[in-house]
Amino acid sequence: MENLTTQTNQKSEIEISPVKKTEELKHESTLFAEPVAHIGNFPITNSLLTSSSAVIIIAVFAVLIRLSLSEIPKGLQNIFEAILEGAISLCDQVTNSRKISTKVFPLAFSVFLFILINNWLGLLPIGGLGVVEQSESGASFIPFLRSGTADINTTIALAIMAVISANLFGIFSIGIWKTFNKYVNLVALGSIFTKVWKEPTVLVVAPVTFFVGLLELIGEFAKIASLSFRLFGNVFAGEVLLMAMSAILPYILPIPFMFLEIFVGLIQALIFSILVLVYFTIAAQDHSEHEEHGEHEHNTAHA
Amino acid sequence: MASIISTFHIDWQIIVAQAINFVIVFAVLYIFVLKPLNKLMAERSEKIAKGVHDARQNAEMLALTKTEHEAIILKAKSDAQAIFQDGRKKSEAKRAEMLEEAKADVEKLIANGKKTLEAEKVKMVEEARMEVSSLVVEATKKILEKRQDDLV
Repeated sequence: MENLTTQTNQKSEIEISPVKKTEELKHESTLFAEPVAHIGNFPITNSLLTSSSAVIIIAVFAVLIRLSLSEIPKGLQNIFEAILEGAISLCDQVTNSRKISTKVFPLAFSVFLFILINNWLGLLPIGGLGVVEQSESGASFIPFLRSGTADINTTIALAIMAVISANLFGIFSIGIWKTFNKYVNLVALGSIFTKVWKEPTVLVVAPVTFFVGLLELIGEFAKIASLSFRLFGNVFAGEVLLMAMSAILPYILPIPFMFLEIFVGLIQALIFSILVLVYFTIAAQDHSEHEEHGEHEHNTAHA
Repeated sequence: MASIISTFHIDWQIIVAQAINFVIVFAVLYIFVLKPLNKLMAERSEKIAKGVHDARQNAEMLALTKTEHEAIILKAKSDAQAIFQDGRKKSEAKRAEMLEEAKADVEKLIANGKKTLEAEKVKMVEEARMEVSSLVVEATKKILEKRQDDLV
């Protein structure tokens, strides 16, 4: 896996470097975020720095909007309201319910904005700012800014929170018993004893349903993995691509790819937030109701 | 699993830190932007809906008032026409009545005048006759006295 890292050698003249001015610096694009400082044992990685900057930017932006709020919108509020309206209608298309949209929208929008700002901050052409770290293999340059989402820790944190919140939302929406039965389908197992005389097929169907529930449980972990690795992979690949292009022809060749990455950053933020919405919508749906409804329709058709 | 953790440098401390970062973003956005803006937009939508509803109600009321107004004007016109016709009829009747009365009065006056004149004439004739007869008597008396004197 380490071989996946792209390595570019750059001549840098960085004053904060303890090495000689003309020494050749290695600038590796690593799979992980590199620490630029430490607070005790806690490493401050460049992606954590970027994420914190994103938090500050969003907070400032939020306070500015809050201060400019008026009944007759103008300027920043106008733009933000238009974005918000569009986002809510997109939410409605995904959830098919204004009630769910209203509840989930703040979280999905926060996820979107957090990922978007993180993705775009990593693209800022201020990569020349950073620290030089001395190691056995020589001096290597570590930039201050690395997209927050180009670190698997960030995407895992977001994915875990999304999946846990979706399940909590499911518990509040349909109840703890129904949510529990989605994964450990005791109702299906119980139906073996209650329905076996009427429908002997339940002997086959119930264990399969129970097993499907277990698969759903595994699916929740798969969701965390897919959400986190998709976002990380896309953003990290973008950074590697930009670095490779700058190694071929600095300043000029990366420009079109920069635009591509701006677009990719937006799309990835959108995909992540829409998937969060989908998970919330699925969590708020009562599967047993569908099954009962299906059975009812089946019985009606028979009748 | 261990190789994944070491390859990607998965660190629970960073995961928690990033989670805290996201929670801050969520809290800030929710408290400062989404909640007040949603409230503001909902209030505005309510006001707009109320405004549209009121405008529609006003338009309906205006149309209704216009119809009522037209109906009232039409009724007033027909009433005025009826009153006018009635007044005209009444005034004509009154006029005719007054004319008749005037005619009757005139005829009465003429008749009275005629009667008075007749009475006057009769009276005058009577008086004239009385006077003539007294004159005749006086003249006769005088003639007779003169003849008597002459005779004497």
